[in-house]
Amino acid sequence: MTQSGEIQLIKLTKSFGPMTAVHEIDLTIPQGSYCCLLGPSGCGKTTILRMIAGHETPTSGEILIGGDSVVGLPPVRRGTAMMFQSYALFPHLTVLDNVAFYLKMRGVGKAERRQKAQETLSRVQMDHLANRVPAQLSGGQQQRVALARALITNPRVLLLDEPLSALDEFLRLRMRGELKRLQMDLGITFIHVTHTQPEAIALADMVVVMDHGFIDQAASAQAVYNTPRTAYVARFMGGQNVLTGHVGETDGETAIVTMEDGARFRVPGQGTDADGRRLSISVRRDKIDVALAVEGQQMPVNSVRGTIRATEYQGSYLKLAVVTATSDDFVINLRDSHALADQLRSGVDVVASWTEDSIHLLAERPHADGQPYAAGIDSMPAPH
Amino acid sequence: MRKNGRRPLSFYLLAAFFALFVLFLYGPMSAIYILSFQGPSGGLTFPMNGVSTHWFDALFAQQRTGDFEGSFWRSIVLAFLVMATTLVVSVLAGLAFRRRFFGSTVVFYLAIASLIMPGLLISLGIGLMFQIFGWHTSWYTSGLGAHLTWTLPFGMLIMFAVFSRFNRSYEEAARDLGASPWQTFKYIILPILAPGLIAVGLFGFTLSYDEFPRSNLSIGANNTLPLEIYAMTTNVTSPALYALGTLTTAISFAIIAIALGSIAFLQRRRRGR
Repeated sequence: MTQSGEIQLIKLTKSFGPMTAVHEIDLTIPQGSYCCLLGPSGCGKTTILRMIAGHETPTSGEILIGGDSVVGLPPVRRGTAMMFQSYALFPHLTVLDNVAFYLKMRGVGKAERRQKAQETLSRVQMDHLANRVPAQLSGGQQQRVALARALITNPRVLLLDEPLSALDEFLRLRMRGELKRLQMDLGITFIHVTHTQPEAIALADMVVVMDHGFIDQAASAQAVYNTPRTAYVARFMGGQNVLTGHVGETDGETAIVTMEDGARFRVPGQGTDADGRRLSISVRRDKIDVALAVEGQQMPVNSVRGTIRATEYQGSYLKLAVVTATSDDFVINLRDSHALADQLRSGVDVVASWTEDSIHLLAERPHADGQPYAAGIDSMPAPH
Repeated sequence: MRKNGRRPLSFYLLAAFFALFVLFLYGPMSAIYILSFQGPSGGLTFPMNGVSTHWFDALFAQQRTGDFEGSFWRSIVLAFLVMATTLVVSVLAGLAFRRRFFGSTVVFYLAIASLIMPGLLISLGIGLMFQIFGWHTSWYTSGLGAHLTWTLPFGMLIMFAVFSRFNRSYEEAARDLGASPWQTFKYIILPILAPGLIAVGLFGFTLSYDEFPRSNLSIGANNTLPLEIYAMTTNVTSPALYALGTLTTAISFAIIAIALGSIAFLQRRRRGR
């Protein structure tokens, strides 16, 4: 067994009866990287994790760890360790015996395994609570114990299933930092399943955005955030406005796209044909400028008109939620020194505009279209 | 929620009903317990003619009151046999029924059906079958089988409930840490299920220990305790009968106390000593 924690998934598929949870996925996760599988619940991310762990058998396809096929091997022989969503600490064993369980299964003597477990516990600052039982620990402490229990197996890949979802906001941020630090110290591959976009962005070297059993994009956090591949990724990651229309005219090099309400925008480099094909772009929220709308005004290209639904002061910027003819949630992040900052209130009609160099062309999805429903962090309450 | 500290009328009505129930349950029995300490010259009814343990001695001393000791030990041994079999089979059935298998629904309903069959008929049928095949009925063959028709479905139903609350990620975690299926069963599943197992054992024991109808025609020549007590009610006319009632009740309570005590102990340990 090599020590490399590089993971390759080749045409990996998992079906549960008639339902396909994972569709022919190809993915390579480099050794020593922090990889986040991100997507709404039911997107197949946990199934992938469980297949890598050996708790689920692929319907077809191949899983390589460090170049070796591991399909069919029990978890211990894969060099993986899993941290379960609810931690699954054994309720009848003390913290020390929970951590020592792996060594006990391997026939290590009592004194030696207790000493090793004690050492592993001190890594996660839990050695002082070694004789408690799980029910006596807080959520954060339980997580540390679960981490120690996984680490004592000396894995080359650590698999974390929604590790922070059971914690409160404060603890979540703290444990997030600790996970990242631990991963850098150990230098092993971490695969972390989450449905929370900021968590993925903050932690991952590699973010894998999933939907309905497909991978929409697998790239660095910056790339996924700034240059989303599809409209789905743009919406799911947030921070972007997605605009969609059909190519109506062209000036040879630049396509002019008309949206349903007649608003138009220019897409350089796409002007080969005025064939009416669908085209989507994304524009970052902070790259959009605002002017007050004038009655009967001719709308310039690269702009949309709408009504402010809500404003939210965010300290360093002002967040405007605008209802346009094609979107209920067109969001603009305006620097708070903007000249109009005082006049922008809900109910005010505005024109939002952008420059051509701040647009990003989105690819059409190769598979069935789905709306990310987890728009939670982006939605603002409607004004009363 | 109560706002002004006053309880609604329904509380008093229900409390009165419950008090009546408790009185009805324990009232007649306490008469038996008190009368069992009747003085040596006392009779089957009040008033008490002194207080003594004379009738407890009589229970063991005199053969004319019936074979109390023999039937008592038969019942105890039989109850332990039933308990052990019920435990093993219920746990295995609980494990098996966690996933659907071919015919699982049929097997389930067949097992449960014996709960609603009249016990006397089961005992009659078993007795008849043994007679047809020319086998001897006895408490440790036909009697044991008759009791199991009663305790196994109970044990299985309890185990299903226990397993439905069992978090399967414990097993996966054990597997992840290198435990074999047997090690997972021994070190994880069994200890976590222990309180439920004690409950199943207790059920198996007490259901068998005081079983009458299923024993009646399947037990063979030697009586178990409930049959012996029933026989005594017709031919013993001294307070020794009451002493017997007091003694068997004490044994039942002791067994229940041991079972509940060990469940409480396990759970306290799990919450942290």
